[in-house]
Amino acid sequence: MIETQTLHKDYLLPLLRKLGKQYRLVGPVRNRFGDTLYIEIPDLDRVDIDLKQQPQNSLKSFFFPQTEALSSYIVDTEPASPTQLYSFHPLLPENRPTLYFGVRSCDLFAVLYMDMIFLGGKHRDIYYEQRRRGAVFVTLGCNEPFANCFCNATKNGPFLEFGFDLQLTDLGPAKNSYFVEAGKANGLNILKKWTRFFTDATKEDRQFQYQAALEARGLFRQLVHVDLACQELEKGNEPEEVLADFSQRCQDCGGCTFICPTCTCFSITDHQAKDQGSGERIRSWDGCTFAGFTRMAGDHNPIDLRRHRIRKRFFHKLKHDVQKHGRPSCVGCGRCVDMCFGGVDIIRFINAITEAGDLGRDKHRGL
Amino acid sequence: MAGLATTFGSGAMTNTINELEEAQVILVSGSNTTATHPQVARRIFDAVDKGAKLIVIDPRKTKIARRAHIHLQIRPGTDIPLLNAIMRCILDENLIDDLFIEMRTENYLAMCDLLLQVDLNQAAEITGVAADDIAQAARMYARAQRSTICYCLGVTQHVCGTANVKSYANLAMLTGHVEQEFTGVDPLRGQYNVQGACDMGALPGVFSGYQAVADPEIRKKFEEAWNCSLPADPGLTVVEMTHGGEDEGRLKAMFIMGENPMLSDPVLNRVRTSLHGLDFLVVSDIFLTETAALADVVLPAACFAEKTGTVTNSERRVQLSHKAVEPPGEARADDWIIQEISTRMGYPMQYESTREIMEEICLLTPIYGGIYHDRLHASWGLQWPCLDRGHPGTPFLHKYSFARGFGRFEPERHVPPAEPATTEFPFVLITGRRYHQYHTGTMSRRSATLKRERGTPLLDMHPEDARRLGLKDGCRIRVRSRRGSVPFTLHLSSHMDRGELFCDFHFHESPTNVLTLANSDPVAKCPEYKCCAVTVEVDHD
Repeated sequence: MIETQTLHKDYLLPLLRKLGKQYRLVGPVRNRFGDTLYIEIPDLDRVDIDLKQQPQNSLKSFFFPQTEALSSYIVDTEPASPTQLYSFHPLLPENRPTLYFGVRSCDLFAVLYMDMIFLGGKHRDIYYEQRRRGAVFVTLGCNEPFANCFCNATKNGPFLEFGFDLQLTDLGPAKNSYFVEAGKANGLNILKKWTRFFTDATKEDRQFQYQAALEARGLFRQLVHVDLACQELEKGNEPEEVLADFSQRCQDCGGCTFICPTCTCFSITDHQAKDQGSGERIRSWDGCTFAGFTRMAGDHNPIDLRRHRIRKRFFHKLKHDVQKHGRPSCVGCGRCVDMCFGGVDIIRFINAITEAGDLGRDKHRGL
Repeated sequence: MAGLATTFGSGAMTNTINELEEAQVILVSGSNTTATHPQVARRIFDAVDKGAKLIVIDPRKTKIARRAHIHLQIRPGTDIPLLNAIMRCILDENLIDDLFIEMRTENYLAMCDLLLQVDLNQAAEITGVAADDIAQAARMYARAQRSTICYCLGVTQHVCGTANVKSYANLAMLTGHVEQEFTGVDPLRGQYNVQGACDMGALPGVFSGYQAVADPEIRKKFEEAWNCSLPADPGLTVVEMTHGGEDEGRLKAMFIMGENPMLSDPVLNRVRTSLHGLDFLVVSDIFLTETAALADVVLPAACFAEKTGTVTNSERRVQLSHKAVEPPGEARADDWIIQEISTRMGYPMQYESTREIMEEICLLTPIYGGIYHDRLHASWGLQWPCLDRGHPGTPFLHKYSFARGFGRFEPERHVPPAEPATTEFPFVLITGRRYHQYHTGTMSRRSATLKRERGTPLLDMHPEDARRLGLKDGCRIRVRSRRGSVPFTLHLSSHMDRGELFCDFHFHESPTNVLTLANSDPVAKCPEYKCCAVTVEVDHD
């Protein structure tokens, strides 16, 4: 499938303009406060597309919005039978074929993970599916990983082998163009349809791309042994001390779960209209780090202490998902590290496990 | 604020919050820092991770107290005897900073006289803290080069609040732990922009920048600028106003902005009488509060995201905050409301933007002299004193000399709480905040997630006290003081000391301030929220 081309940087905007006629465009844009975020781009000329910084959000909310109305309901005051008290009318989102461009490897990988959660089981989530259908991803490999990234350790970056429709690699200032690989039919179609924007990649281009990908692997500033941590957790080793420390530092803000591209917990609430006779059923993001997330009637809470809640989140990422899906569901984007005010981040957690593991081995050696 | 202003000459954090990370010893007093100032707490944790020692003075085993190297679990309201004992230990072990005292302070002899009268065993008895722990804390604090003190409302909300603060200032001066980077005395302010409100003269005795109303020179300056005559007498403090109803006819009308005294002020029954006794009450707030419900006119105000202006935080940092969304409906920004009222009352105010207002602040307020809006764009703000456009701001105060010239030792003696426990009212009630709610809940109680985390008013009690009274965790109880009674849900907590209770004041269904007393600090007029005598009974309602 992989076909390789190059795209001169001058042609990126014209190409996007053409694609914008066929697709809704979503990409990283720098706003007037200096923050870069993935947003929907209605008009290419009025935004500052930023392919230099890591976007602060992930693509999660485009498929799984922070709040969405699942259905409206009407309460029947004189029902024929008690079970017909409520009648529900699903509010399906519109399916808009969307092209996501400038997507970082971690963020695409997170979407593939969400696919497993929302579409992988017996029951498919129709709301998610509706948004997800027809999505095209043009990813951008990271020649220089950002400060808190460790996607090499979670094995989904800085360049992808699969999953993308098109993957771009910056070929550096001298070339001023992108190396383009097509990974799926949609990507190939774009290459074929808009051939005039693309040039066939030379052997030198391919060599350069390979070199860039190789070098990027050595440029990570975070040394994180995700594999080792997963192994230690699998063996049942728990970093008790660190969890106790984290429970004092955690400020219960839930920022880590909201910013995380693979945290998909939600809760559903009914919002009654003022007339009491109708309302909407709303799904909104929730976080396992909140005590109220697991509290039951009568104030019983199976996961009561904060250290247990923090443990639960990290274990979900690094232990339970490894058991269930064969790989951790942390994609190494490092956003929670930036986000956390208290220093309760996954890098510290992983390092604490692996360091403790080292100590353990030293102890055995001593015996 | 009055305490620090008397001793150092300036009532604000002497240092920057970030400097906490470099301190060697941090003394935290009367602050449940992890719950009320989480951003400060994380710096303290980082400092401790780097090897700093942590001393906490608090009647409760708060989260930060549990992490402390030394926790001095005092009885409520016994800060002064504790500090005098600490200072006596420092004196005895010759850990005082002679040179600093000689060069930079005055009134040391009086301080010394007082300290020599301190009986350590007696102090241990009054405070309930072992003499050894006091001595150890004294050594820890005095021996480090960079020791810093953080205190909060647990120190100030007492009848002797100002004296408490002076005692902390005395301690810092005795060991020379002030006037440098990473070491000082830092009051943590409890609310967004409360520092800014004080700086702008929202206090009865001063204009902006703490310029005394009583000073004719200063009054003249403002009269000229505003083209009107200004009264020379200071006005009333908050509680003097909200308790003013009994002085019949003294107050005719009130204009309350963003305050909810119907939940936050002590002896609520008196507050209600006062507000009912007014001829005219105007309340401007973002939601219909308990106070707004009593008003003749309610003005809907814009919230922080709906207006442009500056806020000043604990560390004297002035930051610019931009309007992000339009206010809903007829809500208006505070400056619009004030200008409009003033204009319609016959004194036209026409500022074209908050930028112009800031320019007037710069003109009339020396400490804000160089803080113009354009300097605040795309930056973390400026810390006052910032005297002119070229001034870079001041991260820590009192470098080379105190604001008042010499730092003044203010020896203080123990002032017992206004209302000690008795046989009839055997418990001491401490009031404060919980993590998931904020103040009177005007804003935080509108969040479903916060409600889910903490949605009911709780009373913390030591499990042994509960066993003695036959009360179970989660049962409905009623707390009674000499002034009234309030229902709560009981929460057993071994973090309390026996004989002491803790409750929050976020919930209108449990208006805690029905219980609290009106006695307040003679200088700052801050009420004694942290200490009143109560009894607990099962609620049969």
